[in-house]
Amino acid sequence: MKTTSVKTNGFIPSEAIEPEIDIDVKPIMNVLIILIPFLVSVAVYTNLAVIDMNLPPDVTAIAKNSLPSEKPKVKLTVVISQDYCAITLADKMLDSISCKKGEYPLDSLTLLLKNHRQSLEIKDEVIVASGDPILFKYIVRVMDACKKAGFEKINLASATQNPNKGF
Amino acid sequence: MVFKNKTNFSSNSFISTDLIRPQMTSLIDILTLLLVFLIQSFNAEGELVTPSSDLKLPLSSSREKPVPSLMIEITQKAVVSEGKIIAQNSSFKNSESLLIQNIYSWLNSKKNLLSDKQKKIIIQCDRDIEFNIVKKVLYTCSKAGFTNFSVLVIEE
Repeated sequence: MKTTSVKTNGFIPSEAIEPEIDIDVKPIMNVLIILIPFLVSVAVYTNLAVIDMNLPPDVTAIAKNSLPSEKPKVKLTVVISQDYCAITLADKMLDSISCKKGEYPLDSLTLLLKNHRQSLEIKDEVIVASGDPILFKYIVRVMDACKKAGFEKINLASATQNPNKGF
Repeated sequence: MVFKNKTNFSSNSFISTDLIRPQMTSLIDILTLLLVFLIQSFNAEGELVTPSSDLKLPLSSSREKPVPSLMIEITQKAVVSEGKIIAQNSSFKNSESLLIQNIYSWLNSKKNLLSDKQKKIIIQCDRDIEFNIVKKVLYTCSKAGFTNFSVLVIEE
């Protein structure tokens, strides 16, 4: 909307005053009034993503088919318990972090995983083994930490007390 | 946009033609900013995967976009797929067996309709579900021949 006018210093004849120029904003307003509710209705406020994962392979079946001299390659395992998170390799426990105030210290876990990853034979795979009462949100958090540490393939397993009942 | 305020009195000498101009500049500024924000958040592709409304999905820093596949929703009460309740959580939560028969037979019926590339399951799981339930669903899926999974999450 533009208005041109002449500042008057004293008397100016009526012919000298320029006519007022009005920009018609009605069409713009109409477009905006239609466009904004449409965009509000289609706006995406939560973005969805996925974390790919697999179940760990059947070690017994692999062992049966392979030669006796061949040893199955062991992968790093992150065991999630209610009180702690442990990093294990085969039957050795490499590290453990205690759960503080119901939250797992994921930054420390990521750092530890990064450190252990350097010395591994299989650098891109990790097994996340969770206990039965663990809530799914914590498992996803640990998977995130593994991804951040550089492990691309995640296998989800059960950290059950009785190994015969596992996956 | 100009409104004329005409005041007519009986006397011809007292005619006011003052123009009342509503200040549109600030309004248009706000609308323009709003428009820019909304266009920026507009996604022409749309959401290929729609999460179930009765689920609170877990949060994650993953940026991998979901691809439409067979979906299984694990809610607080039941395991649902394609809008149908396949199994109630209470029916298998405390069972000794890892295999959930209802889900197994349902997946077997679906398996033949899918190509090898489509044999991937997107798991939509409530964030407050115990792993005990998730593990049984995953085990049943693997027994039915589905070994690749994606977990649906909300980007942080």
